[in-house]
Amino acid sequence: MIDVKNLSKSFGDHLVLDDISEHISPGEKVVVIGPSGSGKSTFLRCLNLLEAPTKGTITFENTVITDPKVKIDKVRQQMGMVFQHFNLFPNMTIRQNITLAPVRTGLMKQAEADEAAEALLKRVDLSDKAEAYPNQLSGGQKQRIAIVRALAMKPKVMLFDEPTSALDPEMVGEVLDVMKELAHDGMTMVVVTHEMGFAREVGSRVLFMDGGHILEQNSPYEFFDHPQHPRTQLFLSKVL
Amino acid sequence: MDWAQYYLQLTEAAKSGQELDFFENFFRLFYQAFIEGERWRLYLRGMGVTLQLTVVALCIGIVLGVLVAVIRTAHDQQRLGRSNMLLGVFNGLCKVYTTVIRGTPMMVQLLIWSFVIFSASRNKTMVGALGIGINSGAYVAEIVRGGLMSVDVGQSEAGRSLGLNYFDTMRFIVIPQAFKNILPALGNEFITLFKDTSLVSAIGGTELIYFAKAIGSKTYEVMFPYLGIAVMYLAAVLVLTWLQGKLERRLRQSDRR
Repeated sequence: MIDVKNLSKSFGDHLVLDDISEHISPGEKVVVIGPSGSGKSTFLRCLNLLEAPTKGTITFENTVITDPKVKIDKVRQQMGMVFQHFNLFPNMTIRQNITLAPVRTGLMKQAEADEAAEALLKRVDLSDKAEAYPNQLSGGQKQRIAIVRALAMKPKVMLFDEPTSALDPEMVGEVLDVMKELAHDGMTMVVVTHEMGFAREVGSRVLFMDGGHILEQNSPYEFFDHPQHPRTQLFLSKVL
Repeated sequence: MDWAQYYLQLTEAAKSGQELDFFENFFRLFYQAFIEGERWRLYLRGMGVTLQLTVVALCIGIVLGVLVAVIRTAHDQQRLGRSNMLLGVFNGLCKVYTTVIRGTPMMVQLLIWSFVIFSASRNKTMVGALGIGINSGAYVAEIVRGGLMSVDVGQSEAGRSLGLNYFDTMRFIVIPQAFKNILPALGNEFITLFKDTSLVSAIGGTELIYFAKAIGSKTYEVMFPYLGIAVMYLAAVLVLTWLQGKLERRLRQSDRR
C-alpha cells in the first residue's frame, strides 16, 4: 500500500531520516516508537508529504507521490492524519470541521456530508456537540473529533502523530478506544506513539526508530518480550 | 425672537464698534460659521467628499494590501528548493513597494502623485484617493502578513492533510482566523486613513478641510469652522470605533467556552 524507498530527509545540515526503506501493507497497524528526536514524526509526515523528502521515493497505491507532477491533494484525500495538537479549526463548528473537506473536494454534497458527520459523531459518542465550537470541548473530545474529521474523507490509511501526547492522562483512554475500534474495523494505520500498551495490544508490527534509522522491527510480542538491538533494550528498560 | 434677526442685529452692532458680551459674540460667530447662508450644507458636502475619499482609498488599500500580503506569504511558505521564479519577481516588487511607501512621508507622495505624475488631472480629490489608497496598501499588507503568520502552522497542515488545496485552506481556515487576529490593527489603520484624507486639501482636493478653510477666509473667522470640523471628524471616528467593536464581538463567537 505504501512503499518507502531510500527515504532521507534533512533540515539544513541536520539529517533527520537516513536512507529508510519500508513497506506498509493494507490492513497493517504499524506502530512507530522511539525516543524524541529519533525522526519518527518526520517519517510519518513524509508519508503524506507534509514534509518534502530530501531523497528517496514514496509510492502509495502504485502512485509515486514524491514525483512533483503528482497532484498531492488527490493523494492526501485518501490518507487521513491526526495530529498531536488536534488542529481543529477554531473558527468553525464541529459539524463544519467535519464536512468542510468532503464538500470542498467534491467527495460529497453538503447534505450527504452532514449525514455522514452525524453518523461519525454518533460513533464517537459526541452527537450533542455538532454545533459546538472546538474551544468548548475537552482535549479528549477534540481528538475524537479530529479522528472522525479525517475519517469523513473515507481514507484508505490513517496516520497518527502522537495522538495522545497532549492529553490529560484521564482522557487518553477514550481516544485510544476510538483508535482500537478503528483498528478492529480493518483500517490501515501508522501510529507514532509513546503508548506501549496500545502498541502491544493493537499493533501488528512495531518499528523502533533512533537517529533517523529503523533499528528494529518485529511483531509486538517479540518486540517487547525479546528485543534484539541493545538500543531497543535500553529504551524499553526505561519506558516499561 | 427670530435667530436670523438677532444675528443681523448683533452683526450691525459689532460693525458699529459696539462691544458684545461673551454670549452675544459666541452666538454671532457660531451663526456666521454654520448657519448663515446655509453654510452647514458646505460642511456636510465636505464630509461627504471625505467619506467618499475614505471609501475609495480603503478599497484600494485593502485590495493592494491583501494582494501584497498573499504574494509575500506564498513566497515565504514555498517548499525549500522549489521556488517559483515569477513569485520571486513579484515578491521583490512587493518589497520595493512597501519600502518606498513606508519610507517616505505621505505628504510627499501626495505632492508627487498630484503635481508630477497626474499634473494634468483636474480631479485632485480622486488623485488624492489614489495616493492615500496606495499608501495605505503598504501598511495593510504588513498587518495582513502578520495576521497570516499568526495562525498556527498546524491549521494549514490540518487543512492540507485533508486534501484541501492551498487556496481553500487559505480561504476557509487561515484567512478567517487571521482576520479576527488583525481586526484591531486594521481598524486602527482605517481610522488613521480616514483622518489622513485631510492631507488631500493640500493638493486641492475639495474635502472637509477645504470647505472649512473657504468659510474661514470668507468670514475672517476660523475658530468655529475648525472646531466644527474637529467635532465632525471625532464623531465619525467614534462611529467607526463602535462598528469595529461590534464586528469584533461577532467574530469572537467561536471563543465561547
